[in-house]
Amino acid sequence: MKRFDYIRPSNMNDAIAALRENDNPYLLAGGTDLLIGMKTNTVRPKCIIDLKSIPYIDAIEYDSGFKIGALTTVRDIEVSPLIQQKIPALSVAAGTLGSIQIRNRATIGGNLCHGSPAADMAAILLAMNCEVNIAADNGERTIALDRFFTGPNSTVLGNDEVLSEIIIPKEIEQFKGVYLKHGPRKAMDIGIVNIAVLLDADVNSGLCNRIMIALGAVAPTPIRAKKAEELLNGKSLKPELIQKAAEMASNEAKPITDFRASADYRKDLVKSLVAEGIRQILEPNRD
Amino acid sequence: MGSKHRIQITVNEEEYDLLVHPNKTLLDLLRYDLGLTGTKEGCDEGDCGACTVIVDGKVVTACLVLAVEADGATITTIEGLHKGDALHPIQQAFVDSGAVQCGFCTPGMILTTKALLDEIPNPSEEDIKHYLEGNLCRCTGYTKILDAVNIALQQIK
Repeated sequence: MKRFDYIRPSNMNDAIAALRENDNPYLLAGGTDLLIGMKTNTVRPKCIIDLKSIPYIDAIEYDSGFKIGALTTVRDIEVSPLIQQKIPALSVAAGTLGSIQIRNRATIGGNLCHGSPAADMAAILLAMNCEVNIAADNGERTIALDRFFTGPNSTVLGNDEVLSEIIIPKEIEQFKGVYLKHGPRKAMDIGIVNIAVLLDADVNSGLCNRIMIALGAVAPTPIRAKKAEELLNGKSLKPELIQKAAEMASNEAKPITDFRASADYRKDLVKSLVAEGIRQILEPNRD
Repeated sequence: MGSKHRIQITVNEEEYDLLVHPNKTLLDLLRYDLGLTGTKEGCDEGDCGACTVIVDGKVVTACLVLAVEADGATITTIEGLHKGDALHPIQQAFVDSGAVQCGFCTPGMILTTKALLDEIPNPSEEDIKHYLEGNLCRCTGYTKILDAVNIALQQIK
């Protein structure tokens, strides 16, 4: 790695000041994306600002809804008893990221800010209608996560802004969710297609009160399949309707062909996995 | 640019006070500055697990940690696992079950196994496989490694 300056501010204001005052600065959280970028010269920071000494942004808080600090490790999210109890799909998604060694360092904030359309935390949080708090020089702003991503590896974060917190609405706790990540391996892979489904349905009647479907790795950003959701909200979840919604979700996906998979295969996967995700929620004991 | 930083780290219960450039990884610090070459460089990008060490109680890949980030940390490498002449039960289990072929993945496998057995007292087969996902082996086909973990599990109980 080329040489760089290293700063470890002890509070958020100093971190933001460091972003303004230094040349080509990069923020360091878990480092599991950044260090790889530096080793391959994809990024060439002149200054690294380590966020790990800033207080109050590395823990999971619960008070009528979750507030998760951006520096919370993915492993902490995976094993959190409270998250496993109240919003287990988030724990499942966290557990698909990399390996335990990676998850012990990787942070939820870093995963979002790196901005990959395949980010494992992005699809599930998008389905959960999250908001994020962003610390800036003139205070804090809050935006919905579905306005956060602007393109591959691109977010709305300004040059002197730091993602500080992820807020999950309490109502999500009444939904059942699944996270399906398709790839050649059970671990250590970036998903070919990621599907997050959250469903609030009457299991006996099959009536869907509300559904959220998020797709990862099939568009320039993680996306919600809103047209598919519209087909299902308030309707009875018959197999033909589920199939129709899955096809709609597949049409909403705009995947590319890359070395992992072709665009056509990804579209096919969206169709089968959205249907599968909904089925898994409706019939959790089915083999 | 890139002037050195002073860091204080504890490695295998010994304290070190060092000056390091920010662009030095913990892996390079351990191998080159401290001479602890039990930790191996496989891929240098966190994908193979050969450089696994325990930092403040958690397994991490040392290639993705800057030495400066480890200021104040307590680190265990494979060299720190046993005391005196006797091997740690996990090391002995790997030897006894034939889980060591070329040996390159072994330090990382053993440390991850230690972290597993510390964290999950009664792991299922699935728990074990899931925990060891980040450690790759090109020689053994993993079967004997899983045998070793199970033997160690019995020993430690």
